[in-house]
Amino acid sequence: MTITEAARQLRARTISSTELTRQALKAIQAGQPKFNAFITITEDLALTQAKQADFELARGIDRGPLHGIPYALKDVFCTKGIRTTVGSKIFSDYIPDYDSAVYEKLTAAGAVLMGKAGMQEFAYGITCNNPHFGAIRNPHDPDRIPGGSSGGSGVAVASEMVFFAMGSDTGGSIRIPAAFCGCFGLKPTSGRISRYGVMPLDFSLDHMGPLTRSAEDAGLVLNALAGYDDRDDTSSHQPLEPASSRLTSLTNLRIGIPENFYNVRIASEVANAYTAALATAERAGARLTVIDVPDPAEINAISRVILLSEASALLEPYLHRRGDFGADVLALLDQGRLIAATDYVNAQRLRRLYQRDWARLWDKVDCIFTPTAPIAAPRIGELQIEVAGQMEDVRLASTRLVRAINVLGLPAVSVPLPATGLPVALQIIGKPFDESRILALGDAVISSPDA
Amino acid sequence: MTDWIALAKARGLDIPKETLQPLTGLEQAFEPLKAKLPFSLEPAITLSESSVIASSK
Repeated sequence: MTITEAARQLRARTISSTELTRQALKAIQAGQPKFNAFITITEDLALTQAKQADFELARGIDRGPLHGIPYALKDVFCTKGIRTTVGSKIFSDYIPDYDSAVYEKLTAAGAVLMGKAGMQEFAYGITCNNPHFGAIRNPHDPDRIPGGSSGGSGVAVASEMVFFAMGSDTGGSIRIPAAFCGCFGLKPTSGRISRYGVMPLDFSLDHMGPLTRSAEDAGLVLNALAGYDDRDDTSSHQPLEPASSRLTSLTNLRIGIPENFYNVRIASEVANAYTAALATAERAGARLTVIDVPDPAEINAISRVILLSEASALLEPYLHRRGDFGADVLALLDQGRLIAATDYVNAQRLRRLYQRDWARLWDKVDCIFTPTAPIAAPRIGELQIEVAGQMEDVRLASTRLVRAINVLGLPAVSVPLPATGLPVALQIIGKPFDESRILALGDAVISSPDA
Repeated sequence: MTDWIALAKARGLDIPKETLQPLTGLEQAFEPLKAKLPFSLEPAITLSESSVIASSK
């Protein structure tokens, strides 16, 4: 069931929020031993919020489509009175005394918080093999990673524990778990959703967004969360076109198909599903336009210099507690301590250069299609993976096609594609603040009778 | 190219050799990009609304 369907049933009184919440709790309790999707389950709060939603809806107080809908927050969003661990030992007992903007808005929208979803330690990585809270497991194969860093969010949505879950994305951390778990994942334009009250990993690359069961649901969550927030310096005044509107037709829509970078070293199951998605879009009337994109491999290098520098600066006060970090995160933090300040500044200058170069693409196309990840979910503990005949670091392979988009600040959605084995996904990249179009397009591609 | 092990030692950081290995590949990828920088180009420190929009014009 999607948010849209649940919202309709809530208003038709064929189901109550309390019933939806009890169903969600049952699914969470059944799934937790197998998948470890949650760090904290907020059962009492959820039942209280659900009861309140039922009370209000029965009296005609309607807070919108998220009213009474169960959801999860990645454990990076501060929640007053509820511990917020960031998946770390260092913050394992941290109980914030304030709410993040996202939690404020979702509470105001009447949504029901089921708990804080598990994640990669400090959101720094993609395996979710968390040394402090245990490995999070992929619902399609528990021996495989869910992707990360928002892995618990991906699992909770894909295994139908919640209707949606919030994630954060610094170099693919919403889109990768969406792709590996088989759900939708939206990384909005920089500035679209407030970062206020989110435990940061990287000051200039972090983005917040939803993981959902449909593109339409992602639009509904975005509608509730978008908007200017003077507590976040990067927050945007740009108005949001209602994101739930569907494209009536793909006719003449110009879809950019990169002929460089994005079609190199792609696993065959991903390539086949991607090619089929392009054919579906073309049959539905879209115009596929072959383009060359300014080199994402170079932007990935820029991303790594920025992320290594900013994350190490951020966590420097805790680096004397070396034993309290997982080995993979500590290694990255140590690397970041050696990046020269001049390289960091030049990475931010290069970022502007590539933003300008990519902006020119929008004269030629309306959006860009790429695979989200070149591979399906790797096995837990796997460090290297064979991709189209070449061995590659699992973390670099998983982030290879998504990381650059955070540097550019562009919106991108991961769309699950029909597949015979493990989930694989399409990434649709849009112009700044064009979330409505990429969501509608994602919906159209998989809803097409040809899909 | 940078001797990362020597650099870590000079800064008084006890970092295992294998931890530093990825920095060599990153440096090889990043160094040549600097040649592309126009002299007066300023950094995009934050991706605020104005920087995203301005860069798309």
